[in-house]
Amino acid sequence: MSRLFQPFFCSFRNRFFPAGRISSRTFVILCFGVVLFIALYLVSLQTIIYFHSQNELGIILSLKIFQMSWALVFTMLIFSTMVSGVSALFLSNDNEIIFSSPASPKEMYLMRYLSISLYTSWMMIVFSLPVFGAFGHIFKAGPTYLLFMVPAVICIAAMATGIGLLVTILLVNLFPARRTKDIVVYLSLLFGILLYLVIRLLRPEELADPERFPDFIDYLSSLSTPATPFLPSSWASNLLTGYLQDHSIDWLLCGLLVVTPLVIYYAGEWVMARLFFTGYSKAQESFGGYRRFKDRDYSPSTMRWFFRKELKMFIRDSSQWSQLFLIGALVVVYLYNFKVLPLEQTLIPADAVANIIAYANIGLTGFIVASLCTRFVFPSIGAEGSGFGLLLTSPLSLKRYVLYKYLFYALPFTILTLILLVASNYLLQIKGPMWWISVITGLIITWSVVAMAIGFGAVYADFKAENQAAVLGGFGAILFLFTALAYELITILIVSIPAYRLVRSWRWDMHFTGSIVVQTTGVILLILVTACLTTLISLKKGIENAGKNFN
Amino acid sequence: MNILEVTDLTKRFGKYKAVDHVSLSVQPGEIYGFLGPNGAGKTTTIKMIAGLLKPDKGSILINGHSLADQPTICKQETGYIPDRPWLYEKLTGMEFLQFIASLYSLEKKRFSSSTQYFLKLFDLHDWKDHLIESYSHGMQQKLIMTSVLMQEQPLLVIDEPMVGLDPKSARLIKEIFKQRAQAGKSIFLSTHSLEIAEELCHRIAIITEGKLRISGDMETLRHEAGKKSSGLEDIFLQLTGAWEMKEIISAIRDQS
Repeated sequence: MSRLFQPFFCSFRNRFFPAGRISSRTFVILCFGVVLFIALYLVSLQTIIYFHSQNELGIILSLKIFQMSWALVFTMLIFSTMVSGVSALFLSNDNEIIFSSPASPKEMYLMRYLSISLYTSWMMIVFSLPVFGAFGHIFKAGPTYLLFMVPAVICIAAMATGIGLLVTILLVNLFPARRTKDIVVYLSLLFGILLYLVIRLLRPEELADPERFPDFIDYLSSLSTPATPFLPSSWASNLLTGYLQDHSIDWLLCGLLVVTPLVIYYAGEWVMARLFFTGYSKAQESFGGYRRFKDRDYSPSTMRWFFRKELKMFIRDSSQWSQLFLIGALVVVYLYNFKVLPLEQTLIPADAVANIIAYANIGLTGFIVASLCTRFVFPSIGAEGSGFGLLLTSPLSLKRYVLYKYLFYALPFTILTLILLVASNYLLQIKGPMWWISVITGLIITWSVVAMAIGFGAVYADFKAENQAAVLGGFGAILFLFTALAYELITILIVSIPAYRLVRSWRWDMHFTGSIVVQTTGVILLILVTACLTTLISLKKGIENAGKNFN
Repeated sequence: MNILEVTDLTKRFGKYKAVDHVSLSVQPGEIYGFLGPNGAGKTTTIKMIAGLLKPDKGSILINGHSLADQPTICKQETGYIPDRPWLYEKLTGMEFLQFIASLYSLEKKRFSSSTQYFLKLFDLHDWKDHLIESYSHGMQQKLIMTSVLMQEQPLLVIDEPMVGLDPKSARLIKEIFKQRAQAGKSIFLSTHSLEIAEELCHRIAIITEGKLRISGDMETLRHEAGKKSSGLEDIFLQLTGAWEMKEIISAIRDQS
């Protein structure tokens, strides 16, 4: 094992196994992981069973989803490697120590390859296993399936990391020095467009609709066509599809899966030995000194300057805002799906289905908000870094600090929620009470979730993290995400009964009885009180804990 | 009235007592040096005075206000310069100064005149509209100095003031400190540079293993160390129990 890997290994051991034994925190994370693993397995099992029970096409349809999942996992891994590769390879603080030492580029490449692989793919590997495992159970593939599936996931992850690193090293060398740090922007833009194209080209909604094809044979052939042989993810999906269907094994695909990661690894090592120094040298030249910014007048308003500071730091850190392209692509795909929903083809009236979807959309919007809060709001306190010391020693109280943070993030998230809900309601042609229910509940959820992100972010703030994106895989971030989702679920369930009664009465005769009005008022009060309590408790916890992790 | 009054200050980290019943006071117009070997508890004490660490026991009064009860007033009257520059690298130097000034509600007129003066003094004027991430370590340290000096607070708490500074800037800083003290401001200064302490400080305290070993002017220190005509280095080594180092140093010299 490379000696350069030792700091990574020791940090990992000290973090999760302090004093040489498993810590209570590690134990909780493990238990949490196991519960999530089982839950994912059960949800996947139910979903695939649903497809299988549809008709004779179910099997082909579920295998198509199997292929798509492999392609998605592979693409996501390449992208996340490229994004973290720029900072891990060229901008890491330890580069100065390592590159000034007599360690060879080969050794450096091995260290970076292993550490980036672990950072970027552990979550994808751990959580794709139950999904792919569920297919094995449904197709009664037996334990031998696991002997092929688990190594296939690892090989795909290894190939994705290899390709990601190789492309990163080449790209950094191609770009002019002062644009090195902005590469992440271009990568995100590229990925946003790619994701949009992949999802739209696959047209998943058409798979469930045979009438869109001129004849049934066309439909069947579009479903049963094996994935393109040029993508490594297809080697894994085609190999396992064969095994799932008739226990046949394509040894050529097995060979490709094993040999290709090694070939890509050695190609990356070769490129690293030749191009790393040029790229690293460029990366050091690019540290922002070339540009002069406009001077603005000073005004002694703490709040105004606090907001300005937050905004400038966000805008000037390309690794932060570049992901907005991705969000933009997701929003477009998200809203487009509402446009292409085949509402008229269902057995129940179209407006009833639209209302059900609008109700479910509150949850989906909440999920997007919670995910984005995990990415942007949760790490925002830790992202102050050593600058947080300035705030602690200043007359700005933690109460005002937390409040300003909350207000700064509440505004854009309010706008995002409104865009998602109002636009999807418009596309679904929602009118009447459901429009108001979705918008009001959505906003209440958003405001509470932003407060929760600030609170959890303060409790689990990591002021020393080199890369705030790495904080996202941490215990605090996962805990926040699940707490936020649980809160959203409870709120949506509370709203469900009056929502159902209101919409039903409105659709029938547009008349609301006294009991409906009383119940609705009661529920509105209940979710308002819950939201206010959640917000206040979260912000209070934030105020109490904001300074504790500093030093 | 003392500008800084520390009484019975204690801080533990688990079982380890980092600061052990430390009491000291700083008068108006005084430069107070705070010395000690590595790990003696200097930075922990300073962080408690700056309001970054909560003491387990004891009290800190700044200009008559309790830091525990009135933190905002105390912080308004204290300027803290850490040993490592704490900065927002994505802001320009000027934006950083504006942000800090807004935290302390500095008047517009005073901000303008002070920043112009210090930026020019520290040769940062041409760099004020560039991102801080492009600054050298010394430039970052000078920017932090500017952000504190522009406010003219009655108490400055400084941890290792000369780290990363070039000789010209170090000389300037020393003169500014002296001038500030003459104007009635107080400076609580932690340093490993005994020359700086000897040149600048009216009184010096030495802390070892969390306990205040001694506090007083050079005469008091000489008397306590029993070395009537010695410099601060000899006194420091004597009082911190590192006198045996002298023998090791002579042995190394003999070998070479």
